[in-house]
Amino acid sequence: MNLLIKPFKIKQKSVIPGFGITMGFSLTYLTLLVLIPVSMVFLNSAKIGPAEFWEIASSERVLASLKISFSTSFLAAVINVIFGLLLAWVLERYTFWGKKLIDGLIDLPFALPTAVAGISLTTLYSQNGWIGKLLAPLGIKVSYTPIGIVVALVFIGFPFVVRTVQPVLESIDLEVEEAAACLGATRFQTFYRVILPELLPALITGFALAFSRALGEYGSVVFISGNMPMKTEITPLLIRTKLEQYDYAGGTAVAAVMLIISFILLLLINIFQWWASNRHKVS
Amino acid sequence: MSIEISNISKTFDSFKALNDINLHIQTGELVALLGPSGSGKTTLLRIIAGLETADQGSIIFDGEDNTGKSTQDRKVGFVFQHYALFKHMTVFENIAFGLRVRPSKLRPGKEAIKKKVHELLGLVKMEELANRYPAQLSGGQRQRIALARALAVEPKVLLLDEPFGALDAKVRKDLRRWLRKLHDEYPITSVFVTHDQEEALDVADRVVILNQGKIEQIGTPEEVYDNPANPFVYNFLGNVNLFHGRVHNGKVELGSFKSSPDNNDQGRDIVSYTRPHDIEIKLEPEGKEFIGSQITFIRAVGPVVKIELVRLDNGEYIEAEISKETYRKLELKEKQTVYVRPRDFKVFIPEDYVI
Repeated sequence: MNLLIKPFKIKQKSVIPGFGITMGFSLTYLTLLVLIPVSMVFLNSAKIGPAEFWEIASSERVLASLKISFSTSFLAAVINVIFGLLLAWVLERYTFWGKKLIDGLIDLPFALPTAVAGISLTTLYSQNGWIGKLLAPLGIKVSYTPIGIVVALVFIGFPFVVRTVQPVLESIDLEVEEAAACLGATRFQTFYRVILPELLPALITGFALAFSRALGEYGSVVFISGNMPMKTEITPLLIRTKLEQYDYAGGTAVAAVMLIISFILLLLINIFQWWASNRHKVS
Repeated sequence: MSIEISNISKTFDSFKALNDINLHIQTGELVALLGPSGSGKTTLLRIIAGLETADQGSIIFDGEDNTGKSTQDRKVGFVFQHYALFKHMTVFENIAFGLRVRPSKLRPGKEAIKKKVHELLGLVKMEELANRYPAQLSGGQRQRIALARALAVEPKVLLLDEPFGALDAKVRKDLRRWLRKLHDEYPITSVFVTHDQEEALDVADRVVILNQGKIEQIGTPEEVYDNPANPFVYNFLGNVNLFHGRVHNGKVELGSFKSSPDNNDQGRDIVSYTRPHDIEIKLEPEGKEFIGSQITFIRAVGPVVKIELVRLDNGEYIEAEISKETYRKLELKEKQTVYVRPRDFKVFIPEDYVI
């Protein structure tokens, strides 16, 4: 609960010198790779006046796409947190045959071209697909609905939570759990009150990564979503549509709106994360 | 509450950690499980707590069989060597944990919990640190919080696994004394594990010496120190000098030193054990039993002077402890040749015993 910012100090005595050169390099690198491209978005969208910008940003189709993008990304990240934690738990706590294999499979969504993922998921979940066939009698349609978008986003963001939680879970001392048991805590209480708070910073990090990855995802979603304006059209696709129609200013305006919202959300998540991981440290 | 440990055995893979352990711990006793690492002492403690399951045997608390009970139901307080405090909780929350996780019917009210926690903080003399996090405390403070946390649930048995092992010598001594005092004021059946013989002899009512999964001896500190059952116990409880010899014509021969034997095994090799403070040093041989030795090292710090010598006849090493007064009177110096004699010793026939 200590939100005081320590006085900014540039010069710090350290065994390994080189603050100047590393900081300089980092800033240049960040500028070239992130700041300049991002500022181009704002520069481009600034070509049109504020009135027109507002008109584009507040148009029904843009608002609907933003709603779909953020809600599906959020939902996918939440699902990834829950099942990522479960998977990390199984991989860290138990030994079983084929564990290394499963551990290796986890990173696969990163390696697979997203279009491939999109096509295979669409085929599986379409009404004639293997899984879609089973869900159709229940009245659940996955492909070409927001549910399909969530499925694709869960797939591509799934390794993040597992990989951020795994090392933290590994470092938790078993003695702490034993201490809780000796004090009479049930297994659920031990998990909920002792283990979960320790995992919280890692879970938030995993959530933030999965969430931001989902927001920017395009390749797999275009196949499974059906891209119906107002219904299943995500913002990145809308931007692309605008660009294809040579409406560069409009496209970048939407991109700017998305960037601002994403930045604010990620900043909030980071502050929360920072708070969660620093509150117990020596101040 | 009394603890009855009967026929407990435990094997890890192929390693026999405990081999048919039988032990009765009386209500209100403070018992030390003492042994070198790998002797099975921690395993035994964990089996009592239910953190480990024995392959066979039973654990009985006050006549009630606890063997199959879960840790949660045994109502034991357990203190870990590395404290195992909950990092994300304050000192207050750590101590209150055991009370807060109780089922709602048995859970005390908020005020009652607060009162209890402050009472315990007073007991461990840390009232002013209630809102700190464990990371902000020193090792000694953390261990006291761990103890307060264990006591909060009013356990009938307190189990401590090398509670002072990770602390520095001075803090360890303070806490040791404090634990003894606490136990005298709140006589709760306590078992603590240690590899430090001084700690065990200093604090415990009774000492259980374990080696390679077996109990070597059980007794009060005086009993085990003065009458060790076997060479292992003798050796483990303090520094020791070995004199090899044999029983000859009904006499024990140790080099040039002869004495009446404790037993009549004719012609057998024997080993006699003498504590450093039972070695007598003279400037001249005052009898046949004195052994000529050369002083190799003197450490004259404190009231007891430690002297290391080498026997002139067989080159074996002897460690002696004499008072500063005697040291001054004799005016001993390094490289000097003196004559030593074991004033008191214990003879064991070496059978299968190897140090």
